[in-house]
Amino acid sequence: MTELPGKALARELIEQSREAAQHTPMDPIIEAAREKRLDDGAAFRLICRLWAMERLFYYIYGGWGQGLELNDFPPGVKYLFARQIMDESTHEMLYMDTMLRKGWLDKQRDAFDHPCGRFAINCSLSSYAYTLRYFASYRHSVRVAALNLGPKIVEMAWMEPLADALDDPALKAVFSSQFVENRSHINMGRRIVEEQVSTPFDTELCRRVCASARKDYAKFLGELANLVLQRETRADAGQVRGLFQRVIE
Amino acid sequence: MPTLKIDHEFCTECRMCYVACRELNLNAVYVAAEPLHRIEIDPARCLFPGCTACLPYCPAPGSMVEAETGRSMVPPPPDVHRWSLKGRMR
Repeated sequence: MTELPGKALARELIEQSREAAQHTPMDPIIEAAREKRLDDGAAFRLICRLWAMERLFYYIYGGWGQGLELNDFPPGVKYLFARQIMDESTHEMLYMDTMLRKGWLDKQRDAFDHPCGRFAINCSLSSYAYTLRYFASYRHSVRVAALNLGPKIVEMAWMEPLADALDDPALKAVFSSQFVENRSHINMGRRIVEEQVSTPFDTELCRRVCASARKDYAKFLGELANLVLQRETRADAGQVRGLFQRVIE
Repeated sequence: MPTLKIDHEFCTECRMCYVACRELNLNAVYVAAEPLHRIEIDPARCLFPGCTACLPYCPAPGSMVEAETGRSMVPPPPDVHRWSLKGRMR
């Protein structure tokens, strides 16, 4: 049997992402959940922001779907992409159902008006979404490498301990029920990269886009952790420092 | 009062019922965590037969049934529309 062309690359990207996932900005949230410090308000901010991220996947995958041409990939690759879109939509529904059933929101529309659910251009969430959306112009195998072998591995790494740390059965179920699909997305990514990435140019491109997606996802997680734990963000701190500086001058 | 449930033998999980129900802000159709991510109907929130909004959207005959009798509601039988109208008149 011949060796798959992208096998070494897939292994390399997975190892890099696992390395990056050892410590994530979500660690303080997991710690807070373990110590029962994650109250309803914090849980709402967490779920609502993750819902906003999942909403953006409609926008990202919309762009990616347009970049899929007839016969450029085997039908299996397209089927897996369709599955991934469906799963991402399921996760969005799970987050929204939780907010409604917990009584945190009266109706779906309220989430769009809430600061945690509202889309804003000047935040890390939007730069993460834009980064992924811009990959629409690359080959599908390259962008799958960027997402499924990058942020998806990091996501899996924080979601498992978070589900484990949460006490509330409904919140626990929201996260733990995503494991099967998240694992399948990582495996899809590995398979597509192993089979479809063969040229040196694509290999190097995969490395770059994966690193870029991982970096932006980490920034988003940092912003999320600040929001959930109501910590001062670096941007806020910068503004305050700037203000003091002007006063001193 | 009859209640509505999903027959998973026929349901394609296309989620049109979910979208219709969410648009009306009834939120009776939800994604269950267990069994894994199956669409279900919460009888405590569902207004059937007063509301039948999800039924015409369902593309899979037999996938929504009256829980008590097992009668298929997809495509919606004519009497179901009459119940719905009565519900609205009230």
